[in-house]
Amino acid sequence: MRPDLMPLSRAQRLALTAASFLFLVIATMALGPLIAGSGWWWLCAFIAAGTLFSGFGLRSIRTPPSLVPVLELVVLLLMLTLLFGGGTSIALVVPTAGTFETFGELMAGAQRTIEQQSVPAVPVPPLTFALAVGTGLLAVVVDILVQTARMPALAAAPALVPVLIPGFIIEAGADVPTLVLTAAAYLLLLRVDVRVRRRARLAAGEEGDQAATVIAPKRVPIVSTFGASLGLAAVGLLAASVLAASTPSVSTSLLLGSPSQGTLFARGVSPFIDLGRDLRRPEPLPAFHYFARDGDRPYFTLLTLDRFEGEVWAPTERAVDGDNTVDQMPRPDGLSSAVETSEHPIDVVVDEVRTTWLPVPYPAARIEGLKGSWFWDDGSLTVRSVDTNTGGQSYQVTRLEVEPTPQQLRAADREFDDELASFLDLPDEMPAIIGETAAAITASAASPYDAAVAIQAYLRGSEFDYSTEAPVEDGYDGGGFDVIATFLETKAGYCVHFASTMAVLARESGIPSRISIGYTQGSPTDERVDGVLRIEVDTHDLHAWPELYFEGVGWVPFEPTPGRGTVPGYSRPGAGEEGAPPLASTPATGPGSTGRPDIDPDTGLAGPVVDPVATATQLWIRTGVVALVVAVLLLVPAAFRLSRRLARVRRIRHGERPADAAWDELAATAVDLGVGGSGGETPREFAARLTGREAFGDAAARAAVVRLRDAVERERYGPDGAGTPSAAASASLVDDLATARAALLADAVGAERARAILMPPSLVDGVRRVLGGRIARGA
Amino acid sequence: MFRPRSVRVSAWPRLTRRGGSLMIVGVLLLAVSLWFDLRDILLLAFVGIAMPIAAAVFVAARGPRLSVTRVFAPPVVAAGAWTRVSIVVKNRGRRTFDGAHWRDTVPDGLMGPPEAILPAIGPYEGVLPSGDDTVRLEYRLRMPRRGVYSIGPLRIGVADPFGLARIDREAGAGHEVVVTPRITPLDAALGSAASIDGVVHGLRRRTHPNSDELIAREYRYGDPLRRVNWAATARRGELMVREEEQRGDPEARILLDTTLSGRPPGTLRRDDDEGAHFGFELGIEVAASIGMHLLERGFRVRCTQVADPERGVIPGAAHGGAYRMPGGDRMLLEDLARLDRPGRAAGHEAEPAPSDAHPRAREARSPGFAVLVDPDESDARALVALRPTFEPAVAFATDGVSRLVLDLLEDADWRVVRVRRPAEIGEAWSGIATTPRERATHAP
Repeated sequence: MRPDLMPLSRAQRLALTAASFLFLVIATMALGPLIAGSGWWWLCAFIAAGTLFSGFGLRSIRTPPSLVPVLELVVLLLMLTLLFGGGTSIALVVPTAGTFETFGELMAGAQRTIEQQSVPAVPVPPLTFALAVGTGLLAVVVDILVQTARMPALAAAPALVPVLIPGFIIEAGADVPTLVLTAAAYLLLLRVDVRVRRRARLAAGEEGDQAATVIAPKRVPIVSTFGASLGLAAVGLLAASVLAASTPSVSTSLLLGSPSQGTLFARGVSPFIDLGRDLRRPEPLPAFHYFARDGDRPYFTLLTLDRFEGEVWAPTERAVDGDNTVDQMPRPDGLSSAVETSEHPIDVVVDEVRTTWLPVPYPAARIEGLKGSWFWDDGSLTVRSVDTNTGGQSYQVTRLEVEPTPQQLRAADREFDDELASFLDLPDEMPAIIGETAAAITASAASPYDAAVAIQAYLRGSEFDYSTEAPVEDGYDGGGFDVIATFLETKAGYCVHFASTMAVLARESGIPSRISIGYTQGSPTDERVDGVLRIEVDTHDLHAWPELYFEGVGWVPFEPTPGRGTVPGYSRPGAGEEGAPPLASTPATGPGSTGRPDIDPDTGLAGPVVDPVATATQLWIRTGVVALVVAVLLLVPAAFRLSRRLARVRRIRHGERPADAAWDELAATAVDLGVGGSGGETPREFAARLTGREAFGDAAARAAVVRLRDAVERERYGPDGAGTPSAAASASLVDDLATARAALLADAVGAERARAILMPPSLVDGVRRVLGGRIARGA
Repeated sequence: MFRPRSVRVSAWPRLTRRGGSLMIVGVLLLAVSLWFDLRDILLLAFVGIAMPIAAAVFVAARGPRLSVTRVFAPPVVAAGAWTRVSIVVKNRGRRTFDGAHWRDTVPDGLMGPPEAILPAIGPYEGVLPSGDDTVRLEYRLRMPRRGVYSIGPLRIGVADPFGLARIDREAGAGHEVVVTPRITPLDAALGSAASIDGVVHGLRRRTHPNSDELIAREYRYGDPLRRVNWAATARRGELMVREEEQRGDPEARILLDTTLSGRPPGTLRRDDDEGAHFGFELGIEVAASIGMHLLERGFRVRCTQVADPERGVIPGAAHGGAYRMPGGDRMLLEDLARLDRPGRAAGHEAEPAPSDAHPRAREARSPGFAVLVDPDESDARALVALRPTFEPAVAFATDGVSRLVLDLLEDADWRVVRVRRPAEIGEAWSGIATTPRERATHAP
């Protein structure tokens, strides 16, 4: 691995820099399907250009090669400060401690946004920051590979990073045109390098007496080679495209079993990742508290489950729409102007809950005072963040209170828009009891509203018990259909069961339904701020409830769980007939009351079918793969060292300066073991020092070293061709080398030996040589 | 010498390190993309696999047409000297030839120039040549040893534009350069006039029996008394000697031991492996030095083998191994340069040179010099048989000559001079003249 370190002219450096810049930005383009807009790409191009061309500038003023990457990183830092530092910087580009704090926050935000956003992601500042940092680092690596190490072919490795990412996140992967362009840019880089290398070698000429004088023609048309390069590149790319298109897809299921369970890298972003972690707190922790000026006690929705994934309720995964900012939220679906509405501001202060979903009452008109980027989802109006979470948030949400009358609900049309049809979907096969129950309950209902009220009344009836233990004991925990069927028979469960059962029964009766997960209204405290009662919501207030859709009114919450939350006034049987005003919301349960679900509703709804055995296997596979990767990475230096040793032995056998090769190997072994000594030692000095060691008390080892020394001296200092190699001579060289190495190794203690094998210091010399630092030659 | 010659395909194209690693990366990516079903990466994987293959096909298919001429200056070099090799590469194709490296093929033991870039060569210019289709390459080559070396053909390594594959082709043919043995200048005075004086005289008188045009000159120290011209002395009143010019055609004989038949047969192979045989090369140097010296003095020199005194040192030697000026010096050196390493002593034992030792008159005797490296007994006997035709008869013996042979020769009144190193040649030559008396005293 000896790079050609011919001095390059500025024009040649510039050509290489430009080619690598082009290659890098085109490779970055592959991220296009993942991120909305194109502004981020221009930013990446700016960063790449700044880094690479500053490297070019530094080299053209003859900065030492080992310093250039460091200074490039400094330039990168200045650019990041300029773009993201905001007011914390001095003179726009000089970072301060505050800048690094900002960067830290951006980095944390970037991690979250990568976990939370689904494609195409909104390029929020943390995401663009991460892109900029990544591009800058890749640019530095590319620069080292292309300019310092002069191995542009390896520049493919850093450029593969942005190219590979889309494939692991979205099914289609990177765009084919982008990939072809990337490959073409790579070939351009190779072509430029070949030309530059030839020119540089021609210009530098050869050294020494043997050097040949080359008298080149005065002018040679360049066009013909241009055509050849273009043709060859076209043929190669075309062949690759045809091959890629004609290769049949080998299904992963054949190789890895079920794709959904077996993939090592999750495709897409699950909203459950953060939510589940937060909901799984065993201790009741204060989630948040709020001040409702108008005495409101709404439910707070985190997220909405509206469809079945197999047999399980799941949220619809939607990409965040960058236009859905929370300062102006739309009027909820299906709400007509006939229904009375009023706006009530609520101040919410988050205590301990950490999710990317914001607890917001449904429906809300606007939210103010949030930090970070928050967006609402179409339909459910749930609010989530792409780069931060609820930690430390304090915001004012303006709640739109909808006060439908039973008459309005009863008058709702049975016909729905097509887009609501998905809220009526049920799996094809369901236990019979569900349909039978639905039919029995709603037989006498005149309208969907009456049916809904009947279902709620049925579930709140005395036959059903609220119990968090019964489902677990009887083995029907969760939200699947079998569970619902069992629940309808045993008539004991908790909010998950009630909510999912009501939602399924409603769908069975032709009413669009969905399940909201969030918090009940919480418990009031004695504390008052500005005369407004402070209300605490803690993790025990986690809840799930169904919402049913009525044309003209929209989504209306119901409360089928007995002993939990509040029952909306419109949903009480006979509410309309009495004409009584809706009951004020009263807390049905006090802070110390029993019957709270301390089982995570998320687990109950989403994860009941996970087979523990499968999970364990998956865990094993994952651990195994990680361990394997770590082991392979650890063994990389050892592999390099081994390959060098084998190369030297091959040199010995083939007679290419065999004694030199043997001596190099012996010296490298000594360096590995930390007995390498200083550079500039003659073979004789080195051998003398070596044979002075204990292990060389053995006569055979000593003789081997002496023979090796003699051979190398003859080869280095003797007349050319004096040591004309013969098979026997090289065999004895190999034997001597083995003997000497064995003696050296035997001399070392175990730890040294392990270090010599796994982390051989002799490789460092090679790296140093590449970086143009001082060369430390082993003997 | 100028023959357009298209470049032959001498090997398969092979991938460069870059191409090889690209291919490996491509295969790895292919495995990864199939495993995880990443259709997009599949494309890149195939680019990695297809590009090197396409490049290999490219370099294999595009054979350049080049004509190569090679000139040495000087064409005949003394061992240890440098010669300048000039190569003219002309593109005979209609395309620009680019992306190539060149390296001249030199035999083992010589240090050719390292592989270097061959600049781009423009297309062939049939009319109005401007020289853009020609590249001139020059390098100096040191010739350490005697011999005839074939330099070339030119190896042209052609790589594709992306440096992924290359193919090595040979262009042109090899050309010979002759490396003559080293010459040690010998002391002139001692060699010619004194010790072999009588022979020259005899020759002269025999060829011109009636000529009496002897120009007398003053006696100088060292002139033999028998050359005193008494008549002139009487006339002039001081000692005068006959001065003659070497107008005649004196002949000298050099016998070179080329077969080394004295070596034990088992050692033959071993010596071949080691390259040049030291003693043999020394012997050739001695023979070349003496031959050159004698030729410069106007002698006709016959250089033949010890084993077969009637045969020249190399099979094709002119006039049975006889050389004369002008031009004879170059021919002798070239013949000695062409002399192969000691071959098998095949058929040598058959008959020990029919000693047609037609005893010639003492006047007809010519100087004979035998250069012995490792002769066997039969060689020695042949020399003994030839002894009567030589006067003086000197044998230069290197270290390898066995005691037995030396004794045989000395018994036959051969003058034996030991030469151990090339530096001793001059001294040995001087020794012939200075010590005849001593030698005579302790000769048995």
